[in-house]
Amino acid sequence: MDTANIDVLNTLLDKDIGVSEKIREQVKELDKKVRTIVGILGKIHSTPSNSMGPLLDSVEPVLYSCREILSAIASAVPPDQFWRWKEMWSNDIRSLVFAAALIEFLKNGGLLSVSQTSETLGIQEEWKDRFVLSVEDYLHGLIGMVNELSRYAVNSVTLGDFQEPMKISTFVKDIFSGFTMLNLKNDSLRRRFDSLKYDLKKIEEVVYDVSLRKLVES
Amino acid sequence: MPPKTAETFELFRQEIDESNDRRERLIKASRDVTNISKKAIFLLHRIILEDTDDDRGRRAAVKGRSKLDEARPYFAAMRLELVGDRFWRHQRQVSPAVQEYIEALSFAHYLEHGSIIPFNDTQAAFSDADGLYFPLTVSDYLLGLSDLTGELMRFAISNISRRGGSTTANDICRLVRDCKAGQFPHFEQFIPHIRDLGKKQSVTSSSLEKIEAAAYAVMVRGSEFDLPPEILEDLIQQTTVRFDIGRRDDSLYNNGS
Repeated sequence: MDTANIDVLNTLLDKDIGVSEKIREQVKELDKKVRTIVGILGKIHSTPSNSMGPLLDSVEPVLYSCREILSAIASAVPPDQFWRWKEMWSNDIRSLVFAAALIEFLKNGGLLSVSQTSETLGIQEEWKDRFVLSVEDYLHGLIGMVNELSRYAVNSVTLGDFQEPMKISTFVKDIFSGFTMLNLKNDSLRRRFDSLKYDLKKIEEVVYDVSLRKLVES
Repeated sequence: MPPKTAETFELFRQEIDESNDRRERLIKASRDVTNISKKAIFLLHRIILEDTDDDRGRRAAVKGRSKLDEARPYFAAMRLELVGDRFWRHQRQVSPAVQEYIEALSFAHYLEHGSIIPFNDTQAAFSDADGLYFPLTVSDYLLGLSDLTGELMRFAISNISRRGGSTTANDICRLVRDCKAGQFPHFEQFIPHIRDLGKKQSVTSSSLEKIEAAAYAVMVRGSEFDLPPEILEDLIQQTTVRFDIGRRDDSLYNNGS
């Protein structure tokens, strides 16, 4: 192989290495933020409903501080190369979706849509060819939230809140039937969806327990 | 299910289906291109061994490339599916085809020019009047070339008993060694940056060893005869040609009578 050809290859590779280093630097920061967020949200299991508001309020600033990092990642990605690099941050973005959707449910009882999630995370329309919230990542985030809610249903009862499991049950069933509309291929999303039924079952058992004992009016 | 959720998931379904269907179409096209490329490689091997004249490399390359042209309509169709950010979304589905195509292309190039096809020439061969079919990655180029070494090994060995065969085998050894780790390391230096290159390079190493073993055998056995190499080659060739056309028994009878 002649040196001219090697030079061509090296130039191209150096460019790629530059991009991946820039992204990795940002992702490292993002990892830290995500750990903080997930850490705080872990406290919902031991927080009575009357102090839930302040707990969630304390997460939001950290969540919003991720916007800056996502913006830095978006500017590091060359045009049309979103799918080339997204693996580097997809775990983080799924956790962020999880956090945003969980907060929304705990605050307002509803499902945070993709566009609302994008808005919360400060993902801009003009990043379209460099950074978007993919459907796949959004759905992964939702599944993460359902996993968490099945635990929360149990723990809310322990904390004396018998109404919460009812709300969770309706909400999760709604999401589950949404998932059943999708034709998923055999990938990690499919496998995680398949495990959702166990969460559903767990929540239903809690609902059954509290209804049976007339702890809630049915 | 509240209508809003149903609506949202309906949109997801459309997007997921669309992407999965595109993926399937690309996998099919990719398989067809791989098939054509494999046939082109076999064709090259066949033609190059038909004759021993100096022009055989060029002749083989011309025919091989015209076989490879059959892949063009597939690439043109793939281009439409890989517009904008879709290329990187589906890169993994098309990359096996691209690698196989480069393997065939580089083999034809080697037979004609005796060298490794440069990246720029590969890009040129991967385009039509509208430009590149889709981006050609350094990774696919290097992985395709890694596979080329296997073909070179096959060629070196099946060619070794022919006129000039051991010289060709030695040239190939040099070329493959040079690719692996030349004055400044080539393929080896790219291994940390290119997924799967390490694996393919270990295959290259074993191909190289096979070529080296064949070159060694010719050298050692050749030394037993006190003849100039050209005459020795003629001798070998005559013998193998007789084997080829099954006259071995006849000649035995003739000698015996």
